[in-house]
Amino acid sequence: MTDPAHLHGATTERQATAQPAVDVRDLRVHFTVHRGLVGSQVVKAVDGVSFTIAAGETLGLAGESGSGKSTVARTLVRINRPTGGSVLLDGAETARLSGQQLRAYRRRMQMVYQDPYDSLDPKMTIKDAIGEGLSVRGVPRARRTSEVEELLARVNLPVALAGRYPGQLSGGQRQRVSIARALAVSPEVIVCDEAVAALDVSIRAQVLNLLKDIQADAGVSYLFISHDLSTLRFMADRIAIMYVGRLVEHGTSEQVFGQPAHPYTQALMAAVPDIVNLGRALPAPLPGEPPNPASPPPGCAFHPRCPLAIDVCRTVAPPLVRKATGQLAACHVVPDAPGVTP
Amino acid sequence: MADVITVEHLTVAFPAKEGTDEVVRDVSLAIGAGERVGLVGESGSGKSLTARAIMRLIPQPGRVTEGTVCFDGTELGAKSAPTRWRGAKIAMITQDPLSSLNPLVKIGTQITEMLRYHRGLRRAEAKARAQELLRSVGIPDPRRTMTRYPAVLSGGMRQRVALAIAISCDPRLLIADEPTTALDVTVQAQVLTLLERMTAEHRSAVLLISHDLGVVGTFCDRLLVMYAGRIVESGPTAAVIGGPAHPYTRALIASIPSLQGELPDRLASIAGSPPHGGAQAAGCAFAPRCPMAREVCRQTDPALLTIPSLRTVPADSHQAACHALGDENWNQAA
Repeated sequence: MTDPAHLHGATTERQATAQPAVDVRDLRVHFTVHRGLVGSQVVKAVDGVSFTIAAGETLGLAGESGSGKSTVARTLVRINRPTGGSVLLDGAETARLSGQQLRAYRRRMQMVYQDPYDSLDPKMTIKDAIGEGLSVRGVPRARRTSEVEELLARVNLPVALAGRYPGQLSGGQRQRVSIARALAVSPEVIVCDEAVAALDVSIRAQVLNLLKDIQADAGVSYLFISHDLSTLRFMADRIAIMYVGRLVEHGTSEQVFGQPAHPYTQALMAAVPDIVNLGRALPAPLPGEPPNPASPPPGCAFHPRCPLAIDVCRTVAPPLVRKATGQLAACHVVPDAPGVTP
Repeated sequence: MADVITVEHLTVAFPAKEGTDEVVRDVSLAIGAGERVGLVGESGSGKSLTARAIMRLIPQPGRVTEGTVCFDGTELGAKSAPTRWRGAKIAMITQDPLSSLNPLVKIGTQITEMLRYHRGLRRAEAKARAQELLRSVGIPDPRRTMTRYPAVLSGGMRQRVALAIAISCDPRLLIADEPTTALDVTVQAQVLTLLERMTAEHRSAVLLISHDLGVVGTFCDRLLVMYAGRIVESGPTAAVIGGPAHPYTRALIASIPSLQGELPDRLASIAGSPPHGGAQAAGCAFAPRCPMAREVCRQTDPALLTIPSLRTVPADSHQAACHALGDENWNQAA
């Protein structure tokens, strides 16, 4: 490990091959919820989700509460176990790893959480919190201090903070520490679950810029989860929109933001109050609320709120297929691309 | 138009290690009937405490050290019992109705108690009125909802209930403190539309507090921008968003990614972080983060100045507190 390019090295090879860094196929995460003594119910938090993330790419995942977007994140870093489907990292199946292999896998896939107040141990100094990751990577003790300092510099924090405790830092500083800690193990993929949602507006831009810089330098891939569409537009190369456990739309940022195909995506975008549109009357809001994933509506889960719903939507769940506008969407009404067989 | 609420030179302070920490400093504002005013700021800017000072709900050991709050021309001083007007004439909804609704009391009782206490309605009358109110905020089955507890409702439904309670006595002023921050974006749109309709019907004045410029920008007629306890800019929404005069407002607007238009490679960002609690000893509180700051900014706190404009109505309504204002040579000399 004499090569300081530990943050750069591995990725160049991956970019040479066309293989996606992360390949999620038909991922299912079902939970069994017990009710009373004998009753039980299966909650399909994630139900057949597929996507890929290329090396150095950012996939933005959007959805409202109960859509399952955080479950996807937690399953990727294996806090939750998938109940079906597969997760391939550089072509190797990881869904059923355990023990030593699982630990090795987690070094390659890191997560930055929403709340930097909860995700850092309040009794550990910043140096120790980041150093833990370095020891996992096998960095000898003698070199840890200098590497911690390097990592702090990378996330634009003064080295003087190394001896402080999380409680002595501001929210933005803590989130930088969380990022430095994730980087300490030189991961290939970082899952950011609402990583800037808890930060003040003026701090958010700093952290988003930082995440982009790190990607440009180190070639990491991001799964960037947010309920904030304008943040996703800034961050992501491709976008996936989730609704009650499934993807309803998936395409490049230009496709999804340029010509949203699914009526849910359209409603979501119309609902964002944007200062560019001042003076515009508030759009007629989408009726109803996101359904409880424990009892999703039959057919297309969006049909009770959908302005376009027809009879078939109430009984048959639409497949995610290529649409005329180029991206994938799951909707019976939106016209398919030529050549898509029903 | 007579103003419903007039706040003058309001200062709220908390005891600190040395002396006091002024978390709201010299805040003045006025809201007319039917007018919607947005108060924008980051955490710790004093926006929520300004609202709480109006409601006379400053948490201990903080207190209002200076300034007056007048409601319909009468001062809400120490002599007027808050129970006479709080909830009835000035109502408030908060970010999370789980914390403002009593978890142990059924929804129905929480609405009818307002109507019975403030309006003197009899039990049956209050019940009928409560059902009407719940229906008007879009709750599908009011009769059943009244028998339920807050915890079993979704966030959006709870916020509707809080709004129904808030408007139950036709308040002249409604203070909404981050009312949609905890909600999904489609539900946020519903609640904002509802808030717009209800306040238009009752011609209530609204003070909407939010960190989200998009929310206040689309909803409010006028904006007040707070930083470190002070109002640093105020004016009609179009003037503030379209032609921000304070460097903080400008930076704030530039740092928000948009759903439309050119995508920048990097977001404009503001260095450093907002100060905690009150401001430092002297000078403009934004000076340490300000790209234009000069010596004078670190010495004296700038006063609110009117920004001359032919388009703003009334002409003196756009104001900002910055030494650079009106100094055409500011940037060259710096």
